Amino acid sequence: MSTKDDTGLLRSVLPPERVDQLFDLCGTHSWKLILLSAVIGALPPVFGLREGYMMTVISEMFLFAILALSWDIVGGQTGYPSFGNMAFFGIGAYTGAILLKDFAVSFPLAVVTAGVFATVFAAIIGLIVLRLRGHYFAIATLGVLLAAQQISRNLEITGGASGKILFDVPPGIVFYYFFLGVLVAEIIVVYYLSNTRFGFILNAIRDDEGKATAMGFNTTYYKTAAWMLAALFTGLAGGAYGLFNTFIDPQTAYNGAWNVELIAMALMGGTGTVAGPVIGAFGLHTIIEYVETAFVGWQLVLLGLAVIVTVIGFPKGVVGSLREYANEMDYYERGGMAATDGAADGTDAATDANDPEVTTDE
Amino acid sequence: MAIAQFVVNGLLVGALFAAVAVGFALIWGVVDIINLAHGEMVMLGGYTAYWLLSIATGTAEGSVLLFLATLPVVIAVLFVLGYVLQRTLVSRVIGTDIFLTLLVTFGISIAIQQLAIQAWTANPRSIQVGFADPSLIVAGVVIPKMKLVAFFGAIVLTAILYLFLQRTRTGRAIRAVSQNPEAAALVGIDVEHTRAVTFGISSAVAGGAGAFIATILNIEPQMGLIYTLKSFVIVVFGGVGSIPGALTGGLLLGVVEELTAGLISSRWTLAVSFTLLIVLLVVKPQGLFGTGADE
Repeated sequence: MSTKDDTGLLRSVLPPERVDQLFDLCGTHSWKLILLSAVIGALPPVFGLREGYMMTVISEMFLFAILALSWDIVGGQTGYPSFGNMAFFGIGAYTGAILLKDFAVSFPLAVVTAGVFATVFAAIIGLIVLRLRGHYFAIATLGVLLAAQQISRNLEITGGASGKILFDVPPGIVFYYFFLGVLVAEIIVVYYLSNTRFGFILNAIRDDEGKATAMGFNTTYYKTAAWMLAALFTGLAGGAYGLFNTFIDPQTAYNGAWNVELIAMALMGGTGTVAGPVIGAFGLHTIIEYVETAFVGWQLVLLGLAVIVTVIGFPKGVVGSLREYANEMDYYERGGMAATDGAADGTDAATDANDPEVTTDE
Repeated sequence: MAIAQFVVNGLLVGALFAAVAVGFALIWGVVDIINLAHGEMVMLGGYTAYWLLSIATGTAEGSVLLFLATLPVVIAVLFVLGYVLQRTLVSRVIGTDIFLTLLVTFGISIAIQQLAIQAWTANPRSIQVGFADPSLIVAGVVIPKMKLVAFFGAIVLTAILYLFLQRTRTGRAIRAVSQNPEAAALVGIDVEHTRAVTFGISSAVAGGAGAFIATILNIEPQMGLIYTLKSFVIVVFGGVGSIPGALTGGLLLGVVEELTAGLISSRWTLAVSFTLLIVLLVVKPQGLFGTGADE
């Protein structure tokens, strides 16, 4: 979206070649960067930040980064934008809370079981909804989320509409390192996979599922695997969330606002990248947290407006836009082919919209 | 006899669902967008009628005629809102990724919903329409008069929309754009304007239905998403672009919900509706009446 004229200042301070070099640098030292980020993330408690507001806010940032990155595995990498990822979170949260409260299971076991339950749930639901495409997939996932919320509201075991209150909450530092640990593990897994055959096939499904099928890939298998991976991390985060928040009910476990926030985070950071959703989560959560304290009640108005502006203004997000800017020089180096990529993307999406919306695996 | 009562209740409410769904299907068919903010138009229609009555009478109560008098204003307000939304925001993402079109309407939905909470609080409200004798009893089945008025109101709204699309010049332009935007542009139809008019009409019908909903059920700022999803259930059932299909789907959904509420518990109606949505998508994504989304 960035036009040639309005970036004059940026161009002189940070020319595209330099950004391109920066991307290359990050690419070569990616593992060191991930390690460095993990160490930096682990430092605040060492230097005395052990409780209070800031601690909670940073833990939540890690939590949201997990959710946004999980969304992106299916939404960004595989091209199946889910509007129901909070269903996995809710299933995880309820599994964790029920095990902790009614079965007196230990915290680590409860969290792991929560992740497993969410993954199994995703496998079953995935076999149904991943056959759908486009509008139908998006709405079906939204339906799954709302159905799960309504069912949890009406069952006995989930505590109905009043939910579950949890006691014996461990100190905040446990959750801080738990969310950080899950996030780092997820970054490593997603980054590793993005350079494997598995990751490439996911991207191939996103770009053209028909062709991926024609090349002999069982796309249903790959889609379901990606979907389950997303559910695993989301479910783990959910499993710990009940205790972190000290209570859950259908509104918090299947939080509709979070459902939009995590998509917005992935979108603003840059879908289909590893760094994008994480950057988006940190950035947007900081803003929302600030607005929530300064103008109580207006944070969701802002979220809605921010989503609209991002979609219209820079749908590639921070990382995607930077990447596009860095690749500008390719126009000259590769004889103009790179410059037409953007236009080609547009027509692809337009023809996709007219395709029959149900994929045929057979 | 109880079953007959539930079925009648369901049909009465179902006509309103159908009127909401018809507008949703219209945008889907013509602009090729799933408007996730469609339910918010229902909500805004309800609130517009509520506040108009409040201004006129001091409380949100009044006679049927007074309530019906607010409808033209509701329809006009919602038409303008829909037109402007399409012209300024939605038109910018048409032809890009489906995900972006969904997300922009989702953003609009949240922004409107949250602004409504800020402006009017999250409390449910309703319009009280006074009748000297509030119910008819036909063969042992109780029919509240206001529900009957709402039922016919919804049918009339749907019928007007149908006739408008079939008989008027603008209606033909809308159908032309839905079939082939390029060809429509070639014969001199202003495609952007026509799409915005479609959005406006669809919002206006949803708003009109919302005003009736305010008289027989509650309205609250967060009601929108539920109506959007119900519309989706109905349209998937009836087929995209089929008004008779949407009408049948709406009536059926109403009956299913009322039967669930009556025979099991009213707490389960939404769970049943959303589960029905998933089942329908899996079993019959092309709908029972239409020929599917690719038309």
